[in-house]
Amino acid sequence: MTPDMELALPARAENIAIVRHALGGFADAFAVPESKLADIRLAVTEACANVVVHAYPDDEEGTMEVLASMQDGEMTVRVRDWGRGIRPRPDSPGLGLGLSLIAALAETVQLGHDDAEHTEVRMTFSLHEEPPSMNGHGP
Amino acid sequence: MSGTATSERESARTASVTRLRLSAGPLLRPVLCRVVSMVLTRADWPLDRLDEALLVCDALCAPGARDSGGAGSADGSDHIGRKRLTFSIQADEHEAALRVWELTPESAERLVREAHLPLVGNVLEHVAERIAVESDPADAYTRLTLALSAR
Repeated sequence: MTPDMELALPARAENIAIVRHALGGFADAFAVPESKLADIRLAVTEACANVVVHAYPDDEEGTMEVLASMQDGEMTVRVRDWGRGIRPRPDSPGLGLGLSLIAALAETVQLGHDDAEHTEVRMTFSLHEEPPSMNGHGP
Repeated sequence: MSGTATSERESARTASVTRLRLSAGPLLRPVLCRVVSMVLTRADWPLDRLDEALLVCDALCAPGARDSGGAGSADGSDHIGRKRLTFSIQADEHEAALRVWELTPESAERLVREAHLPLVGNVLEHVAERIAVESDPADAYTRLTLALSAR
């Protein structure tokens, strides 16, 4: 699927704000509900923060890429880098909650690499309305 | 990015360039304006110049957004013949370069020509310090460069 939006920028912490704003514009165009946008922004922020903190050695500036597409009421966001990949890091400065948080917020999460040697976190978010609660009315 | 991926990625790697590729249509304006406003805000641009830069974004996005509403071609391309538009923005506290990539010479000239507003004139020519339509010998495409000043 060709992404509707591709954003490539230096993997720096301050650039995560640009990604969040770009997602806001994307959500405007596709009428994504505000509550869902908050989840998407949080999950994508975590994925981007992983790139900023872990993907590249401290003395190397790398690229962070965010690709977003919308199809059949489902928004797919991929966060890519060309760094050292996802691997255990005992000296990690974070709490290690990023991927768990992404998994909690997204419908599906896939981690991987491809032939272009990039590392990718692929998240999907369903924009379909959840059915009303059936509490007290079940069999 | 796909397409001219490697060279673009390399240049993004070595400079503080933000690159954006968007489907032609209603996505253009909200995303481009937000990204450009964030980049210029971080570069400490004054509000009036930021406002003018957003006018430039509006002018660049108007053709694609307008034609996707039903008047576009059957293959989904906009009236300058692109299904997708690629932009880059690079800024410091003094100046910014906003580029539109992967154009043909005709589409680049048309983008400039159609930025004309009644009573105002050509928005791009009013706001930009310099407008350049450049072809890279190593690339089949043409790019439109708008040099903007923070002063």
